[in-house]
Amino acid sequence: MGFAPRPATQPWASVNKARTAYIVLASIVPIFLTALAVVFTHLNQNVALMGVFLPLQLLAACLVGFTSFGKRGVGDAALIVLVIFFATFVLVLLSSVVVALVTEGAKAMSWTFVSQNNIYVSNTTSLDYGGVGHAIIGTLLIVGITTLVTVPLGIAMAIYLTQSQSKTKGLIRTLTQAISGLPSVVAGLFIMSIALTLGWERSGVLGSMALLPLMLPTVARVAEEALRLVPVDLRYAALALGAPNYRAFFQVILPAAKSGLVTALLLGVARIIGETAPLLLTVPINNGTSWNVFSGNIMTLPAYVYGYLTSAFDSSQSRAWGAALVLMTLVALLFGAARYFSRTKSLKSKTTKQKASK
Amino acid sequence: MNSLTKASTLTAENISVWFGQRQVLSDVNLVFPANKVTALIGPSGCGKSTFIRTLNRMHELIPGAGLAGSVFLDGEDIYGEDFDAVSVRIKIGMVFQKPNPFPTMTIRDNILSGLRLSGRKFGNGDEIVETSLRRASIWNEVKDRLSDQAISLSGGQQQRLCIARSLAMNPQVLLMDEPCSALDPGSTRRIEETIQELSSSMTIVIVTHNMQQAQRVSDQTAFFLADDNTPGGVVEFGSTDQIFNGPIDQRTNDYVNGHFG
Repeated sequence: MGFAPRPATQPWASVNKARTAYIVLASIVPIFLTALAVVFTHLNQNVALMGVFLPLQLLAACLVGFTSFGKRGVGDAALIVLVIFFATFVLVLLSSVVVALVTEGAKAMSWTFVSQNNIYVSNTTSLDYGGVGHAIIGTLLIVGITTLVTVPLGIAMAIYLTQSQSKTKGLIRTLTQAISGLPSVVAGLFIMSIALTLGWERSGVLGSMALLPLMLPTVARVAEEALRLVPVDLRYAALALGAPNYRAFFQVILPAAKSGLVTALLLGVARIIGETAPLLLTVPINNGTSWNVFSGNIMTLPAYVYGYLTSAFDSSQSRAWGAALVLMTLVALLFGAARYFSRTKSLKSKTTKQKASK
Repeated sequence: MNSLTKASTLTAENISVWFGQRQVLSDVNLVFPANKVTALIGPSGCGKSTFIRTLNRMHELIPGAGLAGSVFLDGEDIYGEDFDAVSVRIKIGMVFQKPNPFPTMTIRDNILSGLRLSGRKFGNGDEIVETSLRRASIWNEVKDRLSDQAISLSGGQQQRLCIARSLAMNPQVLLMDEPCSALDPGSTRRIEETIQELSSSMTIVIVTHNMQQAQRVSDQTAFFLADDNTPGGVVEFGSTDQIFNGPIDQRTNDYVNGHFG
């Protein structure tokens, strides 16, 4: 109404034609020269990328920076090149993993593959038969049990580490960090040796127990950070109203840290859901569907991947890729669901706010 | 409003405070009579906020804190065996410098949070919510949005919500630690009016850096001062009129007239 319309241009993004030309040149010439070098000298492509392209690109950018802004332009230009180069590098690296998983896994993917078990499948069976249904069930059960036990434990540890003024805190934090460096196969061996000593049969719960020391440090550390981010003002406000410590914690601090605690849960699940070695040692594998984690054989996705990946048959390889894709999708779905449910409340408050302002 | 408890007299005797080995307050003796507003003034770092926290046992939450002396609520020692920190804080409410409504709760739930947090039983709470918000003179602004999140309010409204939250507990004494220092003049004026109205039903202690505010709202004033590397203490204590218009101590005179601090 009374306001001037927003200008279409951003005056600080002033266009200097000569500089634009330099920048275009500086981004084309190094690629061109590197390509020439590869064609004529048959240089290894990775060596060319790091040894020829990156230095050339840095040099070109620094030259442009220097001609435009003098000395201070050099540092800026170099930083921009390094950031873009390595960001692209990592992006390509990560996305190539995803692309490989999806393209290879897609060969095996079908509703049959996701829903059926592997009971009549041999290495030569067509991909139209058999699947990872039993492994999905097993993974969800075993990881679910670990999560049910670990999350309360981890949050309890985090509460202790943030709320207590005891001096043993430092020791416990150090120990937690040390455990997070524990090789997962050692966790598996540890539980297996206990089972052998006590004469327990290998089973799903043993797998859950082996995963626990791997998940606990992650949950405890992330939950500790989440609780630490809650302003101390809120705790004081609650106590000043006459709250006992436990009510201040459960009614004020815990709700305020909710989304951080969900992150702790997610990172914990992500840490263990793909763990293979502990499960291979503690959980007997199976081709049929089993819901019983307390005795007998039960399959998990990582064990399935391992089993088929070590086979030479093409269809087996495809099954391994497919199972890995299922595992990744499962993690993505779990993350999406957890994020959605932990976010609903703030979304709700936003919509009421919008209503109120209308 | 008829169920309000009576205001109480609060007496601080020989209060000294330590943080670790460092003494920050020395031998403070003050009396806060029922239904009076007392202002605590003085430069930063002289121990006003520390002192006010000893009055409802919030001081002891700080690691390494130490205390000597006694605080009496109508003659009963709040640090004595018959009291515990929780029951002290139910009777002696506190409003902090920075508005601190509970961000995960609605406006309504913030008001009722004290009752829930202290485990008290109450009916449907509607009456308590309305009464408390009216006493903090914020009812008209929020009555149509009680189920909105408390953080959707402006800073001044949040602070009045925090006052209302304390009032829902029906305290006998209300401690306010620079309640207006983060607020605009309009919100400050409304809170000062609220303080005036509240003094009919409770005893109020307010820390302030604002001389005009102390003069406007308080009946009596205590001037705190800490010389370099010595613990803080009360230099002069008297009626607000006397402290501002006829201070006995030269340092009080210099401070209230803006010569330092």
